[in-house]
Amino acid sequence: MDYLSSNKILIVDLETGQISEDDLDDELVGRKIGGVGITSSLYQTHKDKEPIVLGTGLLTGTMFPASALGVVSAKSPRTGNLAHAPFTLKAGMELKYTGFDYVVILGRSPKPVFLWLHDGVADIQDASDLWGADVWATTDSIRRAMGDDLIQTLAIGPAGESGSDLAQVCINYWASGDCWGFGKLFGEKNLKAVALRGMGLLEISEPEDFVDQCFDVFDKIKGGAFAGRRGIEDILSEMGEKDASEWLAPFIHRHSACYNTPYSTNTFVYLNEDSKTLTEPVEPEPGFLINDPCALLAFKRAGFSAQNACRVLKACSKYGIDPAAVAELCEKSGQKDTEKIEQSFSDLKGPVAIPDGGKFSSWSPAQPLFSDFGVSDRSAYLAWWTRRQAVAYLFGIHPIFVNMSPELSEELMIEMFNKGTGLELSQESLDTVIDDVCS
Amino acid sequence: MCAAKWSKRGFRGDREHSSRTGIARPNNVETNFYHAYASINQKLAQGGKIRYGEDEASVLPRAPRPLRIPRIGLYTGSGTSHSWLWFVELFDRMLFHDIVFLNEDMVKDGALKNLDVFAMSGGDTIRIAEGLDTKGAAELEAFIRKGGLYVASCAGAYLPLKSSKQYLDRFNFVDIKIANLSKTRPEIKRLASKATTAYGCDYVYHAVREDVLLRLTGRSPFTGVSTFLAPLYGGPSMITDNTSEVLAYYAGFTDKTQFLVNESLAQKTLIGRVAAAKTGMGDGNLYLFGPHFEHPHFPMANHLVATAIFWDMKKDRENREISEDEIILEGAAKDKLVRDIKREISNARIVSVGLEAVPIQWSIGCKIYEPEKIRVFLEAIWKRIDNLERLRRIRLQNKADEQLVDCACKVKRILRELKARIDDCLETQDIASDLFDSLRRLTMGFLQIYFNSFRCNI
Repeated sequence: MDYLSSNKILIVDLETGQISEDDLDDELVGRKIGGVGITSSLYQTHKDKEPIVLGTGLLTGTMFPASALGVVSAKSPRTGNLAHAPFTLKAGMELKYTGFDYVVILGRSPKPVFLWLHDGVADIQDASDLWGADVWATTDSIRRAMGDDLIQTLAIGPAGESGSDLAQVCINYWASGDCWGFGKLFGEKNLKAVALRGMGLLEISEPEDFVDQCFDVFDKIKGGAFAGRRGIEDILSEMGEKDASEWLAPFIHRHSACYNTPYSTNTFVYLNEDSKTLTEPVEPEPGFLINDPCALLAFKRAGFSAQNACRVLKACSKYGIDPAAVAELCEKSGQKDTEKIEQSFSDLKGPVAIPDGGKFSSWSPAQPLFSDFGVSDRSAYLAWWTRRQAVAYLFGIHPIFVNMSPELSEELMIEMFNKGTGLELSQESLDTVIDDVCS
Repeated sequence: MCAAKWSKRGFRGDREHSSRTGIARPNNVETNFYHAYASINQKLAQGGKIRYGEDEASVLPRAPRPLRIPRIGLYTGSGTSHSWLWFVELFDRMLFHDIVFLNEDMVKDGALKNLDVFAMSGGDTIRIAEGLDTKGAAELEAFIRKGGLYVASCAGAYLPLKSSKQYLDRFNFVDIKIANLSKTRPEIKRLASKATTAYGCDYVYHAVREDVLLRLTGRSPFTGVSTFLAPLYGGPSMITDNTSEVLAYYAGFTDKTQFLVNESLAQKTLIGRVAAAKTGMGDGNLYLFGPHFEHPHFPMANHLVATAIFWDMKKDRENREISEDEIILEGAAKDKLVRDIKREISNARIVSVGLEAVPIQWSIGCKIYEPEKIRVFLEAIWKRIDNLERLRRIRLQNKADEQLVDCACKVKRILRELKARIDDCLETQDIASDLFDSLRRLTMGFLQIYFNSFRCNI
């Protein structure tokens, strides 16, 4: 692949320490497009070696709106089937710029390691000192050791190390869309983290047209249905919790968006300081970034105060455990004491509900947001959502934002894909790949 | 004298002046200078015969002599700043690939004997003179007297001027005076740390920085154009006597010129003074440029550097034998070396980018270094790694591969320690000095392999 791609598939065998690279063929892109189309294909190719496959879409990291998605594909410990977890914030973009389009991680390392991907170089680094550390300390240590605060991490905490089915692969310090227990797979491989940093460049087949159209689409989208809305509280409100804004308001410090995403799907709350302060925080850990609307909603519906819900979410991220699963178990047990919940993490076990929609993460609300997309019948939501998620996961689009913006149509994504890559993807081919990844 | 002013759109106040003077603006014609010199060097490297001014060499003045590839030594020893990398850029773009990177010890050990040209850019002149010392000065003098060409800008131009100051007094090769010298420190308008330097009991002051307009005198070989731009970063304004030929005068300022002293003093110091001079010494010549003619954003000035090199390079040099100590790496060994270099440079580059957001600077010698300078060295390597990777073979001195990777590891380690110390609000001055010295060695080592390897892949 000459365009929108580093043209590299990295294969890392943690057992032997062997690292190799394959080219990303145009032919494979023609058949599978990218994102989960190709991670699924690579998963099948290496199935015998229990692969974890990381990947991005061809639009990831470009100027196309909401092109923030990276994806982890692997066999879920919770379902026993291939599933896909999105990672956003700046991590999807950063993976793209490390110089690898896809990363296949095989085998089990004899000792704890982290994988350091940078500028087309992959290094397996010793993580013995990090083993036992929580997610926050792990990210801090990696950033300090490597000397850069912009390094993005996909890291596990004690939950992953101890083999919990609820373990989550977290992004930097925060939650991710991993509702599949992929944190456990990292732990089983003795893989503490994948650290990402790259300063590469992407070539575009028709650069002027591509960039101009990205700006046009951006302008169009910003005046769309979600104009004037922001943060996680307005998403919750749209999901039926009309008092969500009032509930969360006292703690909201700021909102932030994932890479190049026109809506701020993340909200930073201050728990240990006055949320209205505009100066640098005094406390080393003033608060928490909420980026999982479904988990927050679950805690709210379970009767938690906003402050306690946020405290548990923060504890989940440090421990590396799926907050939506914790919320579900708390609701079942009636436990609302945040300290007791935190103390129970090491023994917390399911069952928890298996997400609807087959292979895509329930982190993205299973409904249209701020716009009806012409889907008025609630019974049709799941089929609509599944297709919408498949498209997002194939091209590299933020899976929550894709539910907000009808402007990001399949036709537009095909057009931009073709302009960016110089290939000729058709709607028929896209339909075939969607059927394939959803089956 | 009234100084003309050049803006992005042309001269300010006198648009006709630009057409009258025939000023060369950055355009495709100028960019084609690189292509023209690259063609000459490529043809010569392939064994072709070309004469000055004929066919592919029409960019040069006509002369009934055959051209040959110059062997150029570039000084990268102690006291140099990062500006020697601008010469590297020029040489690389024009395919001057027979380049030897020299530090003070190599000069003192006689390495100039094998060269046609010795180039020196900017830095701390006194530290350069101190490093080269009496032995280095003697070697340089002998090199020029035996027909060698010394091409220098900024600090390299100050070096051979008459001086009674310690260390500099060993390099009294040229009877040219410094015009930007004062008994008292002038009033400084901005950038105080870059505006003056103590010079014995006097002060060298730098009236302006950035682009200045220069007017050529038309003396051979600098013909065919009247005025052009070049950047001034502390280089001399000169007063010559009849032993030197004036090649160019300072003629004006531009919208980009930064005045470090008041404008009238700047005019008095620069306008009408000598910006470029040529002096003969024995069988050889010195080309001294106040501004950085080698700066990569100034194609016309770059063209003049290349012209000077071809025109006055040493006339009779014996071909150098390939050292027995040199080895060729191919296949997996070559790939491993490239990968190892890439790994360490990437690691270092990642830290250095983050440091650029930190408001810090270091004083090393009489120069100020900011974090941005770190990446100037690293990018000079990074942008060439892929080219090196594409070459079938890499030629290097025995053990140079290990030394290079060790040096790259050291740079990475220092950078990470520097970042950690900054995060912990600890002192960094001591390791910053070590860092820039290591960066210089690393870049020099890499580029030597890079240029050597091009020659073994022709």
